[in-house]
Amino acid sequence: MASLAGVRILIRNTGKFRNPISRTCLRSTVTQLQSNERYFHCKRQSIVTLLPQGTRVKQVRQYSIAEPMSLDLIRKRVLLVLNLYDKIDPQKLSLDSHFINDLGLDSLDHIEVIMAIEDEFGFEIPDMDAEKLLRPTDIVRYVADRQDVYE
Amino acid sequence: MAQLPSPFISHTRKVCSLYKRALRALEDMNIKRHEYRYNAVLLRQRFEENRNIRDLRVAKELLLAAEEELFQNKHPDPSVFPNSPGGIAHGRFPVPPDSVMDFWDPIEKARYPKYFAEREKLKEEYVKLYKKLYANPPKSTEEVNPTK
Repeated sequence: MASLAGVRILIRNTGKFRNPISRTCLRSTVTQLQSNERYFHCKRQSIVTLLPQGTRVKQVRQYSIAEPMSLDLIRKRVLLVLNLYDKIDPQKLSLDSHFINDLGLDSLDHIEVIMAIEDEFGFEIPDMDAEKLLRPTDIVRYVADRQDVYE
Repeated sequence: MAQLPSPFISHTRKVCSLYKRALRALEDMNIKRHEYRYNAVLLRQRFEENRNIRDLRVAKELLLAAEEELFQNKHPDPSVFPNSPGGIAHGRFPVPPDSVMDFWDPIEKARYPKYFAEREKLKEEYVKLYKKLYANPPKSTEEVNPTK
């Protein structure tokens, strides 16, 4: 927040920074700019009109805001990670297939799969939990529980 | 925590844990992805060579030697996930315990009727699960230690 405020002060004070920042302005920044009117005073109009009105800029970086997750999205991401793993046959893979019995992985492969999931979602899965995650559905459930996603 | 009895950890699980930590250590040491992959394949090969050792004494010696090797070669500043202990965001957002919601005022609860109805249902389900897992507690000491 402090850095964002710093950027806003730069926008207000210097003409040099105003153009590049407002050109690449992202959606969340836009809403924040609009909601915090006290930062703008009279300069508000000029900045807002510089933004593209018709097209929404898709936000690539989510600064400190986590991207919104849904069960469907988690499912898709888990399946994508598993499909990209070279020892899993994408034809056999489904949400309910067992890694060891159905897909023929061994325990070290399973560790690699869990590590790939960790990298995908950006949090650590302790060994105690990891050994229970034997199906893609279990992984989806676990990730959803960790991210507080229930719908 | 030291007083708590540690659960039994099987040899397989120890090896799996070692493999994971070794891979992470490789990731720390090799910044470039293709170098990491090359070393990871070599590491996997080293694990595969000792796959069929049935003698647990030999296996344990190998495991201890590998742990020592991992310790000697570990990165001075390993990369950690943001929310893991040692990560940059660890403990940034304190998570209040779930029981806090039960202490809400009824007027406050009335503002979120759907959530609290669902919550009551979940609590009932949890009590059922608890009873299924641990059965009903004995009512008195007589039941546990019948004198006659």
